Amino acid sequence: MLQKPTKKIIIIVLAVVAVWFFLRNDAFLYHGPVGQVTHVTEKMTQATTDEHGNDDKVYTQQLTIAVLNRHQTLKLTNTYAQSQVITNRYRVGDQLLLETVGEATHILSLKRDAWLGGLTTLFVGLLVIYSRWRATSWLLLSLVLNVVMFGFAIQIDIHDKNANVLLVFSILALCLATASLALVLGKTMQMALTLVTTIVTTCLTMMILFMVLALTHSKGVHFETMSYVTQLPSAIFMAQTVIGVLGAVMDESADIVAMQFGMQRENASRHFSDYWQGGLSVGRDIMGTLVNVLFMIFIAETLPMVFLMLRNGNNWSYIMDQIMNLGILQTVVSGIGIVLAVPVTSVVVGLVMSRKAVMQ
Amino acid sequence: MNAIGVLLLILLGLMIFVGRGQGLKAFLGLVCNFVAIFVLIVLINWQFNPYIVIAVTSLIILAIAIYLGADDLEVTNVAFKTSVIVVAILMVLARIMQYFGQFQGFATENSEELEGLSMTVGLSFNHIALAVMVISVLGAVAEAAMAITADLSEVVERTPNMSATSLFGHARIIGGQILGTAINTLFFGVLGANLPLIIWFVRLKYPMAMFFNAKLLTAEVVTMLLGMLGILLSIWVASWLVVRANMQQQKVGIKNE
Repeated sequence: MLQKPTKKIIIIVLAVVAVWFFLRNDAFLYHGPVGQVTHVTEKMTQATTDEHGNDDKVYTQQLTIAVLNRHQTLKLTNTYAQSQVITNRYRVGDQLLLETVGEATHILSLKRDAWLGGLTTLFVGLLVIYSRWRATSWLLLSLVLNVVMFGFAIQIDIHDKNANVLLVFSILALCLATASLALVLGKTMQMALTLVTTIVTTCLTMMILFMVLALTHSKGVHFETMSYVTQLPSAIFMAQTVIGVLGAVMDESADIVAMQFGMQRENASRHFSDYWQGGLSVGRDIMGTLVNVLFMIFIAETLPMVFLMLRNGNNWSYIMDQIMNLGILQTVVSGIGIVLAVPVTSVVVGLVMSRKAVMQ
Repeated sequence: MNAIGVLLLILLGLMIFVGRGQGLKAFLGLVCNFVAIFVLIVLINWQFNPYIVIAVTSLIILAIAIYLGADDLEVTNVAFKTSVIVVAILMVLARIMQYFGQFQGFATENSEELEGLSMTVGLSFNHIALAVMVISVLGAVAEAAMAITADLSEVVERTPNMSATSLFGHARIIGGQILGTAINTLFFGVLGANLPLIIWFVRLKYPMAMFFNAKLLTAEVVTMLLGMLGILLSIWVASWLVVRANMQQQKVGIKNE
C-alpha cells in the first residue's frame, strides 16, 4: 500500500533535481555571458534616512564571478539597500546573467530558470501522478496551445499598428475558451452550451462596463496609472478584462452546465423551472469563492507599489485612488461577469434541455 | 458619479438579485477580505513579524471565503482544514522560491513609475514578495477545496456505504474536472493581469533569456505555478480527508476494511 506512492514521490524528486541540475548547468545555451558568484565580501557603506524618516542601510558587495560560458573570472561591485526595493543582494552560488558593453560588464538579472524549471517539474509531476498521463497531457496541451495563441495575438497587436486591440484580444479570448473547453470536455453538447453561455455572459459584462464608463465619462477611473504601458492603456485594460472575465465565467458556466446535465441524465423529462432552480442553486454556492479568486490575484499584484507609496508618505485615499484603482475595477467587473453567468447559464441550458425533452 | 462606485452598486444588486441572502453574504465576504488585506498592509508596514501577519491574515481570509460561501458545516469544515494544510505547504514552498529566486520589489521596467520615490524605505521587500505570493493563491485554494468537498459530500450522501477505493475513484473523476476548469481560470486571470507586462517584453524585443530569468515575469509565473499547485494539492488533501472521515463513520458499524 505504501510502496507505490513512495516510489512515485522518489521519481518526482529525481525529476525535479534532474531538471534543476540541467538548468543550473545550461550556460552554454545562453548567448550572453552567464556567471556564478564564487566569493562575496560586503560591508555597510552608508546608513540613510530619507525625507520620510525611513532608516535604511546601503551595502557594497565585491563579487568574484566565474563566467561559466567564457572561462574567465571577473570582479564586480554591487550596491544594495537592505530593503531591496530595486537592488539585489547576491550570495555565493547565485548565477547571474551579465552584459558586456564596451569594456564594462554589468549584471543584467539573476538567473532564475533553474528554480522556475524545478517548480514547473514539481507541478507537472504531481499532476501526472494525480490524474494519469492521458488527462494530464490534455490539460497541459490546452495550456501550451493557449500560450501559443496568446503569443500569436501579441505579434498581431505589435506588428499591425492599426489593429483594434480589444478586437484582437477578444478573438484571442474566444479561441482560448474554445480550445480549453474542447480539450477538457471534448466535442460534446455540454462543451457547446458552456461555450455559448460563456460568450454571452462575457459580452453582457463588457456591455455593462462600456455603458457605465460612457454614462459616467470614466470618472474616477485612472487608466493612466497602468504600469508597463506601451500603447493606449484603456484599450489594453479592456483586453485584460475580457481575458480575465472569460476565464472566470468559463469556470462557473462549466460547473453549472455539468450539474444540469447530471440532472438531465437522472430524469430526461424535466421542466424549464427545474433546470433554472438547479442552476441558480449551484451558481450561488460557487460565485462568492470565484470572485474571491480573482480579487486575490488582482489585489496581490498591487501590494509592492502600495507599500512603496505608503513608505513614501502617501495617504490611503491617494493609494486607493491611484494604485489600487484598476485592480479594484477589474475585480468588480469580473465579479459582475461571474454573477451574471449564473442566470444566463441557467436560462440557456434550461431552454435547450426542456425543449429537447418536449421534442422527444 | 464615480464609475467604480456605479459598477460596485451593480455588482451588489446582481449578487442580491441572483444569490439572495447568500449573494449578500458573498459580497460582505469580499468587503471583509478587503479589510483583512488592508490590515495586513498596515501591520507589515508597522514592521510586525511578517510571517505571523501573513499566516494569521491567510487564516482569516480563508475562513471568510469558506464559511461565508456555504452553509453546510460538514463541507466547510473539511474545506477549511484542507485550505489551511495546503496554504501552509505553499507558504514554505513560496519562502524557498523567494530565497533562491529573489522576486522582491521592482526592476528597471518600473523606472517611470518609481521616479521621485525613495528606494531606501527601510522595509524588507523580501517579505512583501512572500505576501504577494501567498495572498495570490488563497482564493484559488479556497475555491478548489470548496468545490471538491461539496461534490464529494454529495456523492457520499447519495451512496453512504461506498468503499474507500470507489470513493477515491469518484474523487479522481470529479477532481479531474475541477482541476481542468480551475487551472484555466487561474491561467486566464494571471494572463489578463499581466498582459501589459508581456506586451512590453515582446515589443521591446527582450532576448529569450530574459523571458525565463527576468524578475517581473518570472515572479508572475512562479505565483501562477504556486496557485496551480495549490489547486492540485487542495483536491488531493480534500479527497483524502473526505474518504478518511467516511471510513471512520463506516467503521462504527463494520470493523476492519
